[in-house]
Amino acid sequence: MSETAHAAHPSTRDYVRIAIFLAVLTAIEVALFYVDEAFDMNGWDGPLLIGLSTIKFVAVVGWFMHLRFEDSFLSRFFGAGFVLAMILYGIVLAAFGAFAIFG
Amino acid sequence: MADTFEIEEGADAPEHDTGDDHHVVHESTGIDNRKLGMWVFLSSEFMFFGAFISNYLLYGNRDFDSVVPRDIYDIPFTSISSFVLLMSSLTMVLAHHALSTGDQNGTKTWLMATALLGSVFLGGQVFEFYEFITVKDMTLTSNPAASAFYMLTGFHGAHVAIGILMLLSLFGITRRQGGLSEKHGMNLELVGLYWHFVDIIWIVIFTIVYLLGAA
Repeated sequence: MSETAHAAHPSTRDYVRIAIFLAVLTAIEVALFYVDEAFDMNGWDGPLLIGLSTIKFVAVVGWFMHLRFEDSFLSRFFGAGFVLAMILYGIVLAAFGAFAIFG
Repeated sequence: MADTFEIEEGADAPEHDTGDDHHVVHESTGIDNRKLGMWVFLSSEFMFFGAFISNYLLYGNRDFDSVVPRDIYDIPFTSISSFVLLMSSLTMVLAHHALSTGDQNGTKTWLMATALLGSVFLGGQVFEFYEFITVKDMTLTSNPAASAFYMLTGFHGAHVAIGILMLLSLFGITRRQGGLSEKHGMNLELVGLYWHFVDIIWIVIFTIVYLLGAA
């Protein structure tokens, strides 16, 4: 890992703040689920929930897994696996017409 | 991470000094091979879980004669389980942070806390499966939607179980040796990466399978 990567590591307080942020996002996700149950959100719950989970995903990978502080080589490796999986299964799901779950 | 290792960047060929006193790793990539291997493994796990998530997306919202998962989800219960697993990621990163600052007692405490939170999550999943099978009468073979649900969440649970075993092994090493050495420090980092990965997979499962599935 590069020298600069070590210098920017978060403190204990930063980690706790990130965890609180993640917990709040989870609470918002659950609240959105019940809001959609009570007042139909006309399909807006899907994009909102996926957006929130994406933020949580990036926060855990970036800070807890320290990927944003690591060599970019690792980011490319990890990102490539994720993107390849998304493309492959996106094609599979599109072929089977499974995207109805989002609308 | 890798605070406990000296890495000589730009070395032409891998070279290892595995002396007990001072562990120095020289890799052509500038990244410890074990860490690189773990990231490659985790990257490949996207394909593994992607297959099960896709399978659920294909069958989870279809109607069958028998009970399907989306009709029997207990969202409040699963939300608490998700929160517990999310907090286990915090305790895991605190264990690594404690080790990087030389706080061996803190490392032990946070490792055990992570294993306990993981066990609570796993216990919740076992309870959920028990309820679904015995009370709701939805078994692995009830219909393709149920099979997809059990396969996806079951394999995730298996990953959590393996993670707990690795955490307890590390805890045992800290107890026996009175702390983690530089060599085992890297092991903690690798276990941490694995644990956080299990967490991000659950973030996806919770949203796609439970919240969107039950909507």
